[in-house]
Amino acid sequence: MKTIIEFMADSHKACDDEFAHAEEAVLNGKWEEAAPAFKRFHDAMIQHFRMEEEILFPALQSAGGPAGPVQIMLMEHAQMKDLFGQMAAALTGKDAQDYGGISETLLIVMQQHNHKEEQILYPIADHILAAQRETLLGRMHSL
Amino acid sequence: MRMTSLSTDQSPPLSIPLSFFAVAPLFLVLAAVLLAFAGGNPFTDPHDPALRAATHCVTLGFMASVMFGATQQILPVLVGSKMPASRLVAIFSLLPLLTGTLSLCAGFILGKPALLNLAWPLLGIAFLIFIVASLVSLMRAAARNDTRTAILLSVLSLAIAIIMGVLLAHGYATGAGLPYFEMITAHVKLSLGGWVMLLTIGVSYQVVPMFQLTPGYPKWLSTVLAPAIFTVLLSSAVLLWVDPYPDRIAGGLESLFWLLAIGFAAVTLRLQQQRRRRVADATLSFFRLGMISILLAALFSMAALFYPAAGIYLRTLSVLAFLLGFAMSVINGMLYKIIPFLVWFHLFRGGMKSGVPNMKQIIPETWMWWHYRLHAGTLLAAMSAPFWMVAARGIMLGLLLQGILLGAAVFTAISIYRKNVRLIKLAHT
Repeated sequence: MKTIIEFMADSHKACDDEFAHAEEAVLNGKWEEAAPAFKRFHDAMIQHFRMEEEILFPALQSAGGPAGPVQIMLMEHAQMKDLFGQMAAALTGKDAQDYGGISETLLIVMQQHNHKEEQILYPIADHILAAQRETLLGRMHSL
Repeated sequence: MRMTSLSTDQSPPLSIPLSFFAVAPLFLVLAAVLLAFAGGNPFTDPHDPALRAATHCVTLGFMASVMFGATQQILPVLVGSKMPASRLVAIFSLLPLLTGTLSLCAGFILGKPALLNLAWPLLGIAFLIFIVASLVSLMRAAARNDTRTAILLSVLSLAIAIIMGVLLAHGYATGAGLPYFEMITAHVKLSLGGWVMLLTIGVSYQVVPMFQLTPGYPKWLSTVLAPAIFTVLLSSAVLLWVDPYPDRIAGGLESLFWLLAIGFAAVTLRLQQQRRRRVADATLSFFRLGMISILLAALFSMAALFYPAAGIYLRTLSVLAFLLGFAMSVINGMLYKIIPFLVWFHLFRGGMKSGVPNMKQIIPETWMWWHYRLHAGTLLAAMSAPFWMVAARGIMLGLLLQGILLGAAVFTAISIYRKNVRLIKLAHT
């Protein structure tokens, strides 16, 4: 049975892979590949956010987990969604330069965010949600 | 468990890192000017006053300035703990660092004891403030990871290197009888091998996998490497005071240091080769050039152990590869990542919801690539500078142009930030 850290870090890694594919397709001007690659990346990110926003964070809060950090994570999700919107617009306009600049920015936001989650928030979740871990992972998996 | 690293207030005000980053390039220009007025080729003699002054322009004026600013920014991200009293620490470390560096360099060039006597207390204060603030932050850090260990050992090496430097400057000024050779050797070993190398190692453990999407460093390596390097350096510094000097053991320790450094560079290059993000990136190229330069510096230093007759030239080449090749490449790469991101981040957080310029609109990528080519050219010139005056002039020109290019990049970023802050204020009125 995976821990919450392992499960969520795998999900981060999967999102990173899709990010890299999409960015590479755009910067190489392969627009036919770029559109579905960006969609896969976007879908993976939104699914990851939903796992957190609909299942993990509410569970953390009901178990008396820290509220402030969860708020910050939510704020950063909103920040990233804003950047997804800008990337989608650059993709529609086939503007590789613009897409590259936004994806460079997103990469840093995303990696810092993941780092904070993996170093601090998920270990707390593994600790205080140990009893319901199996159920939570099952629910997140089936989203 | 502490939650410090998740606070939004962890990031210091933008003016703090940018003030340090704005002054740093000026010292590259100053180093170039000092070398140009040296008369003859300053790279033929490691004790040349102009070379010594220019070296300290680069290490103190450029490298330490960037590090003072960057540390405030990255400690919260890497170890989850910010520096205490960030504004006060910034002001009271920046001013004495600048004035101290200028008086030290002037003291070297002009041979005036009064200037050296002005320099050492100023530099002592600047580093004391920085080191104490860094140690407080590291001690408070929630994270107990290998990055924290490496940065801690880097700061301790810096502390010893600065104590040696302060005593040396005081000694030169007063003519005090000091074991100059031993102290200079220890000063160089701990500042370059300790401070610069260990800081880079600690930061790399996290930023290399994060920003290039590479696999992580092997756990056994990241656990062992920084403590091993620190132990080797400290032992070889202590050996300097053993009489008679145990040449063979000292040579063995130096080789061991370089083997550890080669190990770090080789593993980093290998990880970067396995990166999942394959797109061209100037900051990555800077970083890779830095790693290749560690290999070059190691090659020259190890050659000096085997061919002592050519020792002076080989060691000068090793220091050039280390400072210009390794340290400057990594710093340039880091600045081109951090400056545009900070401007974007502060504008976004400052309430600008639409039209925030993206990172490549803040500093264009072509600019970074031009700087990269110029930097690689400077390094190439450095590899023949001790034997060829034209190449020595090449370093001077390279440093001058790099200082101008980097300075212009920082000021462009600042002006883009200011322009957009005005727009935000207008939108709110």
